[in-house]
Amino acid sequence: MASNIKYPENSCVWYIEGDNFVLLTNVDSSGNLNTTERKNWKAIQEAVTDGILIKYYAEPDSVSSLSDVPDIDNSLHLALVDYVKRCLYMDKAGTAVDPNQSMVSSNASMMHQQKWDEAVKRFGMKKRDKTGGARMMNVPDFR
Amino acid sequence: MSVRTITVKEILSRVRQVFPDVPEKYVMTLINDALVELGMYNSKVSTAKISTAANQMYYSLADAAKDTSDNILEVNKVFKVYIMDDDGDYMQIPRIIDTNILLTDVSSESALNVPDSD
Repeated sequence: MASNIKYPENSCVWYIEGDNFVLLTNVDSSGNLNTTERKNWKAIQEAVTDGILIKYYAEPDSVSSLSDVPDIDNSLHLALVDYVKRCLYMDKAGTAVDPNQSMVSSNASMMHQQKWDEAVKRFGMKKRDKTGGARMMNVPDFR
Repeated sequence: MSVRTITVKEILSRVRQVFPDVPEKYVMTLINDALVELGMYNSKVSTAKISTAANQMYYSLADAAKDTSDNILEVNKVFKVYIMDDDGDYMQIPRIIDTNILLTDVSSESALNVPDSD
């Protein structure tokens, strides 16, 4: 079922408020422009099945069995090993009775923390980026 | 040629090289913690369709929010929105920065958080 909105790019806007997506339009249920200046932008006036399409960055699926493959790009899979080792070494540092062992574990934890940060935060975008080569500008037509 | 990926079992075996007694459930919990953190770095792009309701301004994007097909959205950040036009095509609509709209919604206020009753 199509909507009655002829030019959504001119008649609809959106923004995010907390955990909510907010949709506003300046047309009525028949697709005619609202005439009241004060109440020009308001909630959409019609019910449209599948009327909104959103593109978003989503949470990766969690893992629950040994055969699961983490739901992220395979270039980042090894970083998960660093994350797990980081946490385990930190646990070991906190529970070790021997101060030397605690220090060694703490250092190992920091090393894995650094590798995790490099893989995800510093070089993560390069690893995930699927684009390459020269870019071209799409100049708007002002006619 | 197949894509090289690592299963949870392989991650566990690598971890057990240095921590032989670590429980697999604990490692899985840590992997899931890591995945939540990775989700903040734009690693997975998804598309979903939501139905509009007459006079409804707010549409939930909470962790448990669902799309028209009853799939859980799991939204971290919305970056593009399209609205179906009168031909049934999806047209991209702009995001506004000034959200001081004079008229608020009267029918979907329940979508927002309300103070606790106690």
